[in-house]
Amino acid sequence: MMTRMVMQRIGIGFGTLIVVSIIVFIATSILPGDVAQIVLGQSATPETLAALRAQLGLDQPGYVRYFSWLGNMMTGDLGISKAGGATISSLIGGRLGNTLMMAGWVAVISIPISIALGLWAAMHPGTWLDRIVTFGTLSLISVPEFFIATVAVLILAVELHWLPSTAYMTGQESFWELMKALAMPLITLVIVVSAQMIRMTRAGILNVMSSPYIEMAILKGVPRGRIIMRHAFYNAIGPIVNVIALNLAYLVSGVVIVETIFAYPGLAKLMIDGVQTRDLPLVQACAMIFCGTYVVLILLADIGSILSNPRLRNPK
Amino acid sequence: MKDEKTNSELDFRDLTQSDKDLVAKLVKGGFSRREVLKLSMATGVSLVAAEHLLFDGKAAIAATPKKGGSVRMASNLHGPDDQLDPTLFTSTIDYTRGRATYNSLIQHANDLTPQPELAESFEPNANATEWTFKIRNGVTFHDGKKLTADDVVYTMKRHQGEQSTSVIKSLLETVKEWKKTGPMEVKAVLSSPNADLPTLLGMFQTKIVQDGTTGGGIGTGPYVMDSFQPGVKSVHSRNENYWREGANLDAIEITAITDPVARVNALISGDMQLVTQLEPNAFRQVESASNVELLSTPAALQLGICVLRNTAPGNNDDFVLGMKYIQDRERIVKRILKGKGSLGNDTPVSPAHGKDFCSELPQRPYDPDKAKFHFKKSGVSSAELYVAPVAGGIEDICLTAQANCAKIGFDLKLKKVPTDGYWGAVWMKEPLNVVTWNMRPTANIQMGIQFAPGAAWNDTFWDNARLGELLSLSLAETDPAKRHTMFCEMQTLIHEGSGMVIPAFSNINDGIADNVMGMPTVPLGQLGACEWPEFIWLA
Repeated sequence: MMTRMVMQRIGIGFGTLIVVSIIVFIATSILPGDVAQIVLGQSATPETLAALRAQLGLDQPGYVRYFSWLGNMMTGDLGISKAGGATISSLIGGRLGNTLMMAGWVAVISIPISIALGLWAAMHPGTWLDRIVTFGTLSLISVPEFFIATVAVLILAVELHWLPSTAYMTGQESFWELMKALAMPLITLVIVVSAQMIRMTRAGILNVMSSPYIEMAILKGVPRGRIIMRHAFYNAIGPIVNVIALNLAYLVSGVVIVETIFAYPGLAKLMIDGVQTRDLPLVQACAMIFCGTYVVLILLADIGSILSNPRLRNPK
Repeated sequence: MKDEKTNSELDFRDLTQSDKDLVAKLVKGGFSRREVLKLSMATGVSLVAAEHLLFDGKAAIAATPKKGGSVRMASNLHGPDDQLDPTLFTSTIDYTRGRATYNSLIQHANDLTPQPELAESFEPNANATEWTFKIRNGVTFHDGKKLTADDVVYTMKRHQGEQSTSVIKSLLETVKEWKKTGPMEVKAVLSSPNADLPTLLGMFQTKIVQDGTTGGGIGTGPYVMDSFQPGVKSVHSRNENYWREGANLDAIEITAITDPVARVNALISGDMQLVTQLEPNAFRQVESASNVELLSTPAALQLGICVLRNTAPGNNDDFVLGMKYIQDRERIVKRILKGKGSLGNDTPVSPAHGKDFCSELPQRPYDPDKAKFHFKKSGVSSAELYVAPVAGGIEDICLTAQANCAKIGFDLKLKKVPTDGYWGAVWMKEPLNVVTWNMRPTANIQMGIQFAPGAAWNDTFWDNARLGELLSLSLAETDPAKRHTMFCEMQTLIHEGSGMVIPAFSNINDGIADNVMGMPTVPLGQLGACEWPEFIWLA
């Protein structure tokens, strides 16, 4: 039963990716101007256009191009960027590394903090500590990230000179120098994603706390901390894991504003650059990476909530 | 007394690069009376002034080339299409990397007079239909290969022919052939006279690359490229074998920060020492910060309104004059550009173009009475102007014009449109629209590109045969006085007849750390037209 459910989820995830790939391919194809026109630009003549189209296989019908694009992508060949003929894998390689590094550090810092704070707030609902956490997270959720970033830069970099204002990496720095360079975007992103995860953890647990079996435990005189850790938390894992997965996916694909403000060479910024220069192969590749990340993370969250749910784990 | 005045007016830093080189050479050799005489003859200044120059030069040189240190520069844009091929350069970050890595034949001085760079000398024939360039000896590429005439001819031919993708192909179209006339001599044969050819050869895209290559980051320039990641950054270190003084820093790093606020913050917090394109709302922040300064260079970045002359209402002379007189130019420069701009006189040529600017042409004032008179005479009582934010301040300029028109009973409607698609859908199509043009290196190109009869970008559709005639005549004219008269006539024609309303020119506004010395101020682009890598040093 459980294995079947997990396999089913993986199947759905795979199907979603195929649908997404079709949408990405069609969307970039209906944009005016094909790759050959973009590569040749002003100097295009009908002959050179035809030659380059044949060379790139653009004279083939759409479905043939789609399957060869999909096939190439599966084998890791992302195509060639219009910029100087560099392969897209080489352009994306370093950027993806940067993005994953940033996302990884933010996750390592923010997930434990969020779950701890969320649990703590749930253990003491209605106290002034809980109110501070609730009020703080609500305010931070409502503030756009560029505002948090700009205020952080003004205070920590421009006024106090404690941290650099841009995430400028030389590639040769020690661990601490690297942490210092990344400090500002890390702080911003940790604030942005933690606020949501704290609220979700607190809400999830309080939701479970109102169910009859918890009331039973309370009537039996089990201490509140023990009820939460032993009974409530496991039943609240589903929604918590889901919100963590969504935030991680956001960290990989949606941090373009933070990347722009701190001039951090990540993947989201590369995709925007690709759109601006009409570098369609690059845009397609980035879109697929982002969609893939979303699908995989949400798949993992689904599997996580299945595994954490005894009713699904031990079907009768 | 007279000599003293000359002395105080003539400073070492005002000299052209070739005269500076001469002074530097004399100062190093420990100058004698004979050398003072030599300098006096070479530069045409009086003996006393020459002596002063040598002392001043000595002081300047003693203070100048301090070697060492490194800087980081942040431009406003970069991306995966960053280039190392000079013929494809289109952005400030490309130009800067080009300047650090390569050399051109010719270099622009701050006043845009052409200076020798890889060309030791350049001479036209009598009617400027042929130019001969002597290539400098003893220059080597970063990979150790010696620079020869072959490299120069190869580089120049990349701007020619069917297959060429050079972005300045059309500017160099008058060159029929590039010929190697000796191991270190190159000749350009032109199809029509062009006295401005050397100026064109100082443009960003004309950097000399090695025979058979597309550049690839190997040039003869002051810095060797250590690493290059398009859309991320590049790192350069000093070329220890550079063929002349300069390259004072140990290393430079070139990157971009696209967000304007983040760029200013990076400058003030000391992460970056040079940043481009400050917005007017950042001027006060930069000026009040203690460790940085605003570098504002007057340039011919025109903020204009095109009134199409081939359709109503612009086909009426009085309507056009009304639009010109209603511009409150002083206020635009003072309030909208915050003083970092200069008055426009409805011609695309500004004082930044140097000797070809016609200072004799009287400045058109803000005169609502005259505007009212002309609008009334034209019989037009309202018009619609298409506005997109194509340049900083242009929307405010239009709003000012609208308010001033309302005061005299003329209804100027503003139609706001987005920048995206503006150049294809609105510009050169709607009867009244806004425009901005980058500064071109010569007044001739600047006027030719917009006003030559039948030019592809004649964006006011104003046809004037006399202007077309003068454009080609002036290119052949080598006598400075006659040339200036021609340029004045052209500017007067445009000022009076064309549909171009140019109330103001914007300055080039950049920010630099205040220990950065020796910044050039060439007005053709950001940060001294990206000439800084060769010249700056850290105090």
